[in-house]
Amino acid sequence: MARLSDLRRPATLALLVGAALWAWAAVALWQSTELPSLDLPHLDPHSFFGDSFLHRSATYERFLAILGVLGLVTVVAVLAVYARHGHRLVRESAAGRVGTGMLLAMLGFAVVWLAEVPFGLVALWWQRRYDVSHQGYLPHLLDSFLGLGSQFVFLCLGIGIAMGLAGVMRRWWWLAVVPAFVGLAALFSLVSPYLIPDTSAIDNPTLVAEARALERIEGAPHARLREQEVHRFTDAPNAEALGLGPSSTVILWDTLLRDGFSREEIRLVLAHEVGHLAHHDPLKRLGWLALFLLPAWGLVALFTRRRGGFAQPEAVPVAILVLVAFQLLATPLLNTTIRRQEAAADWAALQATHEPATEKAVMRKLATKSLSDPDPPFWAYALYENHPTIMQRIEMADAWEEQRP
Amino acid sequence: MKLLLTDDLRRSRGTVFFRAVFALPFLIWLAVWAIAAFFVAFVNWVATLFEGKSPTPLHDFLARFVRYATQIYAYLNLAAEPLPAFDGKPGYPVDLEIEPPVAQNRWTVAFRAVLALPALALATVLVGSGNFVFDSARSSGRLGFAVLGLAAVFGWFYAMLKARMDRGLRDLIAYALSYAAQTWGYLLLVTDIYPDSDPLTAIGPLPTRSDPVRMEVADELRRSRLTVFFRLALAFPHLVWLTLWGVLALLAAIFNWVVVLIAGVSPQWLHRFLSRYVRYQMHVSAFLYLVGNPFPGFVGAEGSYPIELHVAGPERPNRWGVFFRLVLAVPALLLASAFGSALLVVAVLGWFAALFTGQMPLGLRNLGAFALRYIAQAYAYLLLVTGAYPYSGPCLEGPPPPAVAPASPPPGTAAPTAWPA
Repeated sequence: MARLSDLRRPATLALLVGAALWAWAAVALWQSTELPSLDLPHLDPHSFFGDSFLHRSATYERFLAILGVLGLVTVVAVLAVYARHGHRLVRESAAGRVGTGMLLAMLGFAVVWLAEVPFGLVALWWQRRYDVSHQGYLPHLLDSFLGLGSQFVFLCLGIGIAMGLAGVMRRWWWLAVVPAFVGLAALFSLVSPYLIPDTSAIDNPTLVAEARALERIEGAPHARLREQEVHRFTDAPNAEALGLGPSSTVILWDTLLRDGFSREEIRLVLAHEVGHLAHHDPLKRLGWLALFLLPAWGLVALFTRRRGGFAQPEAVPVAILVLVAFQLLATPLLNTTIRRQEAAADWAALQATHEPATEKAVMRKLATKSLSDPDPPFWAYALYENHPTIMQRIEMADAWEEQRP
Repeated sequence: MKLLLTDDLRRSRGTVFFRAVFALPFLIWLAVWAIAAFFVAFVNWVATLFEGKSPTPLHDFLARFVRYATQIYAYLNLAAEPLPAFDGKPGYPVDLEIEPPVAQNRWTVAFRAVLALPALALATVLVGSGNFVFDSARSSGRLGFAVLGLAAVFGWFYAMLKARMDRGLRDLIAYALSYAAQTWGYLLLVTDIYPDSDPLTAIGPLPTRSDPVRMEVADELRRSRLTVFFRLALAFPHLVWLTLWGVLALLAAIFNWVVVLIAGVSPQWLHRFLSRYVRYQMHVSAFLYLVGNPFPGFVGAEGSYPIELHVAGPERPNRWGVFFRLVLAVPALLLASAFGSALLVVAVLGWFAALFTGQMPLGLRNLGAFALRYIAQAYAYLLLVTGAYPYSGPCLEGPPPPAVAPASPPPGTAAPTAWPA
């Protein structure tokens, strides 16, 4: 319990004011995604899916979910060991204070990668067994190893900025880190649509015309429409909306465009993605990022004090453990916010297309092709799902139908 | 097995001009000899497996064959002047000293062909696309863009102009031949000593040089297995940064070229910037190719890395040399690319060695440092950081050159500093 005298200290007072501001901003951001208060009917999955599919998808997803939990526990354990002993690796560097910090951060993630390799391989084996993935084991390993390289580039950039600021500013450096990171994330969000590989412009004039019409109906900005070639790796259909302002883009996977989805179904998926852009969801995600980064870096500043503060490279392994642990704990909360955005985009798609039957059909196909459990257990839902479940989405279509005048 | 080098660098323009033609009968004879050596090698392998020691007549035959191949290739590639004999007798200016047969471990004999693979890979980038025995068997002498072939071609032009062979090129050819001879000696069971790729011990006494762009090796051979395993990924941020820096360096080099042509000397700040770029490039390469152990810094600061590049201050170079710098640098850049291939093999072999033993083999480390030094000198020459042409042979590093113009140190004044083990 804080004593009354503590509250008079400027730092404590500032923290309390900061916490209040944080809560106000979180509520405002939450409420900025409008969703009608719906009383979703509880529907029985068996009335939409066969018994064998429900059993198969539940088995498939349950295994991956448990594997994921085991993987997370292993990662935290490995990082805890690294946080304790990782500072010894300082001797492997001739790169000065910040460069050494970068090395230690990279090695931390390299160790995590090593620890995750068996889980990744088992997950791939499981996905291949259920015919969800076609990727070979060696390409999977190679891709993931080479992916480390690009991950390290961003990691170095982040650590460089944070350690640089920690070296210059004494106590409140972590407050300065947040705008720097959000700025970088905004920049990345702006350019990311141009960096996604294997994409091409959609040349189907009907689809393009429909996209423009949906933009008008939903009040969304003009977006680039792209197709991404993914069928070499997966059969699962998907789409995404990303980019900021002029780079706003809707990307449809070729597995959606070519694998037996009707024109109406593709239009509905398109309406969902346009809904994200209409609601400025990419921007709101930056807002949530800023809100979550604040306590994360605050905790880093707190926990790295014993190693001389984050300005010292020896503190980096501890910082990585704190950040990863915080991310794990914050993921269910973050998922809740994203699920709300997804539900709002679903609702916008229904409002724009007036096709609840198509929504249900799309959901059934999505579940079948991705082998998604339509009604997963709560723990898996809270931990992994950043979309409403298939059944919730079907129930929303039902609710929309009932509300229709 | 040791290479003996008594060549005096003098060359006759006539024999140099027709060198390939003159070598042809010897190559044909070598090809015939290679066929016989193939069968003898098999018999020798079986006999050594049983006896634990190579029978003396077979050993002598194969030793003579390796010596003869070395002599022929030394002649063809201008490392020596006189015509060799047809019988592989000792006494040629580039020759091999081969020990009599000794007892060999039967396991290493049984798996000799497999064990020799890493050495063969390195020999391939040093002496040619295949290997000199197979090349001679095909009578083609095909060398591709290996170190030996390029050095011989550039040596040919040099010898035609000056009637003598360039010391650096001659030593480089001799080094490549020495390694190839050791490799074949090992593969054919002439010796049980694994080929040593150290350029500092391969060809006898080395010159001590004080070039304006010098390398200092203070690296311990210890390697962290963790950083070795992830070396490529760890170097990735450096490679991105190097690319960005490279764009600036290119613009700076063009500007520098114009300034030096007009003012006659590079401005201090520009020289410093380009020196740092070359040094940083060398630090990153040393880390990536396992020549150095620690993770390097991002600014190319002098004295920050155990594989260090010292660059002398700006010189007042010959303007013609500056004007044609891009053309003049082409041979050095070609040779640098061949050194780059050697560096890649060093990195791959060193990666396995360091992962298993936690140490970088001295020979590989020194070959890597030698290659890096040449590449750094080539880039420094291209970017007008120095007017001194890269020295292609292995050498010992002397003290820094005088402050203004680079000059060869008077004999005997320089205290040689060998790279530490």
